[in-house]
Amino acid sequence: MTIDYDEYIKKFDSRVAKYIPPKNEWTPADYAVYGPKDLFRVPLKESKELQFNAIKYQFKRHFEQNKMYHGFCKDKKVTPDDIKKYDDLEKIPLIPNEFYKDYPTGRDFALWLANIFTGAIPSIKISQKEPNYDDVINAFNAAGLAVAYSSGTSGRHTFIPRDMRTFHISEYAIAKAAISMAYPIWDYDMHGYLLMPNPFKTNVYAGKVCTIYYDVIKHVTAAIDKELNTEIIRMSMIDGSGLKAKIIKSTLSRMNKKITDNIIKWLERNDKEKNKIVFAGAPSLLYNVTNKLKEDGQTFDFADRGAILTGGGWKVYEDRRLPVAEFRKEMEEILGIKPEYCLDAYGMVEGNAWMVQCQEGHYLHIPLCYYYPLVLDKEFKPVGYNQPGRFAFIDGSSYSYPAFIISGDQVRMLEHCPVCDRPGPVLEPEVTRASGKEMRGCAEEVRRMVSTDIGT
Amino acid sequence: MLTPWEIKRKEYMPPLIMLKLNIKGSFFLAKVILLNLGTLKKMKKQGQKNIYMRPKLTYNIPKYKSSMKFCNLDEKYLRPTLYCDCRAPEIIALANELGAFKKSDREFAETAFEFAKRKIILEIIPLDGVVEVLQRGTGTCIHKISLFIALCRAAGIRGRYKFYALKMLDQWMQPAIDHAPLMKQWYDAMGYFLLHGEGEIYLDGKWIPADVGAEPQRQAAAGLPVTKLGEDSIGLWLFPIPGTITRRESVPLGLGFTGNLLIKRVAPDSVAGINIGILEQIERGGKIIEETGGEKTYDTMTRKKREPEKPKIELDEKKEIIFEG
Repeated sequence: MTIDYDEYIKKFDSRVAKYIPPKNEWTPADYAVYGPKDLFRVPLKESKELQFNAIKYQFKRHFEQNKMYHGFCKDKKVTPDDIKKYDDLEKIPLIPNEFYKDYPTGRDFALWLANIFTGAIPSIKISQKEPNYDDVINAFNAAGLAVAYSSGTSGRHTFIPRDMRTFHISEYAIAKAAISMAYPIWDYDMHGYLLMPNPFKTNVYAGKVCTIYYDVIKHVTAAIDKELNTEIIRMSMIDGSGLKAKIIKSTLSRMNKKITDNIIKWLERNDKEKNKIVFAGAPSLLYNVTNKLKEDGQTFDFADRGAILTGGGWKVYEDRRLPVAEFRKEMEEILGIKPEYCLDAYGMVEGNAWMVQCQEGHYLHIPLCYYYPLVLDKEFKPVGYNQPGRFAFIDGSSYSYPAFIISGDQVRMLEHCPVCDRPGPVLEPEVTRASGKEMRGCAEEVRRMVSTDIGT
Repeated sequence: MLTPWEIKRKEYMPPLIMLKLNIKGSFFLAKVILLNLGTLKKMKKQGQKNIYMRPKLTYNIPKYKSSMKFCNLDEKYLRPTLYCDCRAPEIIALANELGAFKKSDREFAETAFEFAKRKIILEIIPLDGVVEVLQRGTGTCIHKISLFIALCRAAGIRGRYKFYALKMLDQWMQPAIDHAPLMKQWYDAMGYFLLHGEGEIYLDGKWIPADVGAEPQRQAAAGLPVTKLGEDSIGLWLFPIPGTITRRESVPLGLGFTGNLLIKRVAPDSVAGINIGILEQIERGGKIIEETGGEKTYDTMTRKKREPEKPKIELDEKKEIIFEG
């Protein structure tokens, strides 16, 4: 018998109670994130109200408590008093994502992080004389913050300073979005395989944000169990031919083979024990597995007990982008996982929202209750529905930095999902990079790291 | 022979930050070389494979006449300095031909700016004087800005240098990415490029920026607008490392030696590769401009779709951050 949705989400909430602040401390931002039972099924009028209150609240905070953003708003002649009604949200000044990629080195990097932070920062001790990025991030995180980074095929990461409250929102949002969309397959007793670095050993955002995976899934295995820092990622992303780069690449190459073998063994064991399984993370790792299985003529049948949640990194080789539909077909043919439980999520380090595909049509649904999506033309003016353009958003959930961002992604937004009955706009499934922008996301980093010996 | 008084007066001593950056740069360069000894050996065995053909001059150098006017004041920012002889006959002649003392200061400065930007092609080459630059028609950003400053000083407009360490758009360093992997590695290892030179001139009571380093075609190849006098390269394609910007009357002493060592001794093949890449970039940009319908149309279109404005950030000290090291 299928579990009732209310019961299902109650079970989820009981698992993630530590991520939710006490209700008497909730701000409009918390009401918008933690309040709805299903982030994707809030009636439009209600979600717009939650969204407006959350964004207005956060905009005022960032305007008042963030010198950098205050100056930016002053230049654009916008103050919190200008945000009176829903349509005024478009007046909120948006920060290009490149801003968070443009930072100095050494001690100045620490000051940069502190100066883009909204509100008071805790006392942070940096012991190194010439600290590198990892030294600074680790010092911030030891002081109770959650600085994470992502992407940069040329080795230029995006650094975002989250406080724990903001980071918990991000963790909660990814888990809730995925689990509600995957209803009713999620079950705490599932066996999970994280196609990402171990969240406890990295500050790569897509890895770090998955710490909650360990709270909602009983048995979790991480693909990459090594400590990953900016230097290792930088070495694996750039075409370095130095000795250090060669050693790192060779290690990663061996690791890739090992990951593929480990996943196959893991599949065999869970198949034998008839366990329910869930994969989450970079699609390229699974693609390597299914390729190997195809070569060996091996298949599995996880039809009613398997799910996949992928995120970004849809390039499988340097010159080839794998369409998400083709990926689902492949997963069904080789692993037996049904297409309705093979969902892709779209999110980024700069924001706390996760757009997850619906089972019915695989369109990316937007958690409207705290997130205002926009599509911009080449002159950065909003365009209507159905028009392609650069994705931008006003995220009303971030406390520690202004998450009002123009992304580097090219999307098309539709007013309604053409297939399912969830209210609110959706994005078409294929999100690509705007021209001139480097490849997106942490999953792309994972792909680049482990792709050394698969023909790239 | 330079006197200590002249060295001090004309700001020939390199600023401390530049010295520090050079030392750091040398350290990283040594590291890159040590880690790539095998590659370097292989490259040397193959002999020079990058053969750079310097483009032909696209202008004539006018003849100097003793009747030509020029600014003869021994004032800061108006007098000759290292590599910037604004009293050289060739410079005076060119300044006069470009309209010195006939046009308004702004009009003349704009004309001189366009000349240095368009007619002098970027080439990575050891530092030398403005007359050599004019005769050769090529030079680095420092050669190019020296010529512009010399022309302005000859016409009685104050001009000074602005130097800084920087990061740059990937598209901007495409020639290095394509042709000089070791240079790219050096840049990656340091996280920034050692030095960029641009200028400022004093017009209508204020200093205005002038970066003549970028030819319109190279800007087109990188999807940038064609910048004019008064428009800053900072924030468009160049991003200074905070705390490294320094403004001076002259190119500092020693810079020529470092450049010479790197360009002639350490990595001549890589440098030739970059210079080839620059010419390719110019060709590519030229095609883009042509296909778009000319420079004016290209520029208008590009300005419309330029990157949105970013917030400005000042790195205020924070008492909560304690540096123990």
